[in-house]
Amino acid sequence: MSCESSFEAVPMKSPACNISQHNVSRRRILGTTAGAASGLGLGALGGLVQPAIGEELKKQEKQVLLLWLDGGMSQLESWDPKPNTQFGGPYRSIPTSLPGVHISELMPRTAAMMHHLAVVRSMETVDNSHSSGVPRMLRGDPTNRGVVYPFWGSAVAKLMGATASGLPPYVWVKPGNGGFISKYAGFLGAKYGALALGDGKPPTNLVRPDDLAERDAKERRKLQQLFNQRYAVGRRKQWNEANSYVYDVADTLMKHTRLFDESLLPGKDRERYGRHDFGRHTLLARNLLESGVRFVQVTSYGWDTHGDNFNAHSSRVPKVDQTFAALLQDLIDRSMMDNVLVVMMAEFGRTPRINGSVGRDHWPNAWSMAMTGSGIRTGQVLGETSPDGTEVTSHPLDIGHMFHTWYTALGLESQHAEFVNDGQPLPIANDEMAPVKELLS
Amino acid sequence: MQSTIHLNKTAMCRSKVVLAICVVAANSFPVSSVGAAEGELHDRVDKLIDARATDLTFAENAADVDFLRRVYLDLAGRIPSADEARQFRSDTTPVKRTALIDALLAGPDYPRRMQELFHVTLMERRGDHEEWTGFLRTAFEQNLPWHQVAAAILKPDADHEDLRGAAFFQTQRLVKEGAMAPIDVPGLTRDVGRLFAGVDLQCAQCHDHLTVSDYSQQDFQGLHMVFENVDIRRDVKFPAIGEKLMTEQKEFSSVFEHVKLKTSPVVPGGGEFEIAAFEKEQQYIELPDRKKRTTGVPRFSPLSELSSGLASPDNKLFCRNIVNRLWFMMMGRGLVEPLDLHHTDNPATHPELLDLLSQEFARHDFNIRWLLRELALTKTYQRSSALPDGAAEPPRTSYAVSLEKRISAEQLFWSVGIACGEFEAVQLEIQSTVDATAGPRTAEQLVKESETLAALQKQLASTFGNPPKEPEVDFTPTVAGALFLMHSDDVRRLLNPRPGNLVHRLSGLESDEEVINELFLCVLSRNPSLAEKADVLKYLQSSDVRRIDCLANLTWAVLTSTEFMVNH
Repeated sequence: MSCESSFEAVPMKSPACNISQHNVSRRRILGTTAGAASGLGLGALGGLVQPAIGEELKKQEKQVLLLWLDGGMSQLESWDPKPNTQFGGPYRSIPTSLPGVHISELMPRTAAMMHHLAVVRSMETVDNSHSSGVPRMLRGDPTNRGVVYPFWGSAVAKLMGATASGLPPYVWVKPGNGGFISKYAGFLGAKYGALALGDGKPPTNLVRPDDLAERDAKERRKLQQLFNQRYAVGRRKQWNEANSYVYDVADTLMKHTRLFDESLLPGKDRERYGRHDFGRHTLLARNLLESGVRFVQVTSYGWDTHGDNFNAHSSRVPKVDQTFAALLQDLIDRSMMDNVLVVMMAEFGRTPRINGSVGRDHWPNAWSMAMTGSGIRTGQVLGETSPDGTEVTSHPLDIGHMFHTWYTALGLESQHAEFVNDGQPLPIANDEMAPVKELLS
Repeated sequence: MQSTIHLNKTAMCRSKVVLAICVVAANSFPVSSVGAAEGELHDRVDKLIDARATDLTFAENAADVDFLRRVYLDLAGRIPSADEARQFRSDTTPVKRTALIDALLAGPDYPRRMQELFHVTLMERRGDHEEWTGFLRTAFEQNLPWHQVAAAILKPDADHEDLRGAAFFQTQRLVKEGAMAPIDVPGLTRDVGRLFAGVDLQCAQCHDHLTVSDYSQQDFQGLHMVFENVDIRRDVKFPAIGEKLMTEQKEFSSVFEHVKLKTSPVVPGGGEFEIAAFEKEQQYIELPDRKKRTTGVPRFSPLSELSSGLASPDNKLFCRNIVNRLWFMMMGRGLVEPLDLHHTDNPATHPELLDLLSQEFARHDFNIRWLLRELALTKTYQRSSALPDGAAEPPRTSYAVSLEKRISAEQLFWSVGIACGEFEAVQLEIQSTVDATAGPRTAEQLVKESETLAALQKQLASTFGNPPKEPEVDFTPTVAGALFLMHSDDVRRLLNPRPGNLVHRLSGLESDEEVINELFLCVLSRNPSLAEKADVLKYLQSSDVRRIDCLANLTWAVLTSTEFMVNH
């Protein structure tokens, strides 16, 4: 695999700028452009993106669905089983629709659709704690430049924006409380945070109460905008924009209240996806994607099985299997596979070694993830682990490689595109890594 | 210094936080040489700020009305009432700003404001406890020096009735959060480093920090062992902690090198301290007693050592951390940012200023009220937040233009209550329904008596505060906040005309002119501009029949405007 090693030597690629003389330091060029831009007052609100992402790309309306199994699903009880080995555990493996490929017997429905997936069995990452592993995976482990990088959803929200639907670009469906999670946006600024739908429910206060006439509600917002415009004159733009933006999002959401009403979804679908949290939330995610949300993340908690790993996985993995298979079928039936990139992963896998509490602990050293959809070459398993599952024996891949791959799959130039924050150019993915060609269609 | 650093020669381990600091410590704190001869602190601050911004156009001195609102929010935690605004406006004495600063610092709002500010800063919305609230209130009523406040938190004294609530800082972090989650001792360790020394050692837990060369794994492990040794006391009802016996160094190893290392407890910015050894029968002052559910009181208290080593004028990190945080509170940006990432490669934007402030603060016995007064008196603080005509936006780090600041959920609550006349309305309700002879109450008393006010306070905190465990630094408006202001019962109630409240009062005014003047003074503490007047008059004259609705709409729009929602 080729790795970009030298930051300075990479020629700048930009639609407006492809002459050979321009093969100079990106840092210098971007420093200058960014400086000029902020002089014009354009530098506010999370900086720019270089090269400017073409309108053409936005029109393609690529979308992302991230299924996040928080705490770390065991690769041995899912994508990379090692039956009848020292650490294999009690479950068998079963054949799949891909000749020669076996996965855990806990995933029969997914096994039948294996030819629609690309599975990586050779993830080798570094963090073995949740508190640093989660953000590292969700940020794609960019080279440290002293800034807080955005989570993937926020990054995509910035790079690709909202789709024509105008819906918030980054929606996160999760158990528990909802809200607007701005910290995920990192240096991009609050605007690119996640709109979290707690337990898949619409945000509180979404619906205009009956005793507030529509006319009054409209007049209020108009007057507010008038006051805000006057206040903004001669002041820094950032906070004014942020304050106006949340009202714009609120307005958009109010137009889509039906989106959040679970009872409007066909009973048959709800049966197929499963009435458990992951099923309900993934079905909602499908709906959100169909309505035009750019990036949807679904989180399932409780995978940190330090104790009683096997009972936990025998109850949890089949639920994921049911939901994931139903989702894949729907994406195929609705011709959404060309546009939607789907990734199912966690912050790490679980130890092959079984601990004293019949559990498996954290294992970033060798674990698996699955992906499909837009730009992904499906019908393959990439990478291998040793017979006992403790280490990667071929195609070791870090999360940085995956971010390059996914950005490329979405049509972005992952090795050239940069955020520009306060004049500082910041590559969108780890600049020592590159896309994994094998995974790209 | 050297001997403490290399206490574990075999382990080849060193506390890097100390190392970085002692270089500077050698030529600092010549307390006697820093004298009044060099001028008042606020003048010296301005000189240092000016010196680094010579090529920039500074904003003008803020208008009186802007200064008034800002200083009320910062030192009283609320906007001024219309009467207070009128009074300041009519005051023509040249020293009225200084007089107001002094009045606010001596006033009844100051301890409440500081209690709220430090509660949010130190607990980061992990919950509250009346003992903790009582501790903070007492501390700021008595203007307790910061090192004593910090010491009370680091080594709580269960026998000191006014201060014992300080233990809540630790007990609340040692609560088990669900069956699967271990008690988050690393989180407590991290927070002590962050909040009292300005160093976030989290990433040095399993190995030396990968990107911050000052933070070593030993710094983390040496601090962590102090808190591993702490237990929540079960024998008393109030928050209290005990310590277990510590006799041995802690073993740890880096996940990269797997070499066994040992450390004694480490004070951030202060180095290792020795574990005092006693004969077996001398180890306890009070023996553990299982029947009474007490863990005993060992003679050697690592927390005492930590507290005296950390909360000390000799601890550079301790001094820098607090002045940086108070500077941030007043000026809208830390001299060091992030606030909890002080290290050699992340110097202050104005290193000489940070040194000056920390030296002077320590020299003035960590007197928070004194430091806030000096900061409020600076030209830097009193500058306008509007860009000078035609000037480009200067860097935030220059302070050439005053920075807008986030309004906390607490500031928002008291300000909304004052702006909307809600406190007057509730006072009248109490008089009409409960007790006709009820005398005037303070806003704080009213919250205790009125369920709706208490509910509003809680709602605002949950909607406009950050989620638990997140520092509140930037202004981060949320969709949830917008929807709350647009549609919630609480806000609609504020805008329904009730005797005493703003909309009711506006509806009783004769002319539109009076309406707009009163509205702007009550909510924004200023007069409307001509253009704003024209806008509002046009709107009010567009409809006569819906007068009350129009007044409520107007009030809502001013109340939710960016101008009201930020401290500018």
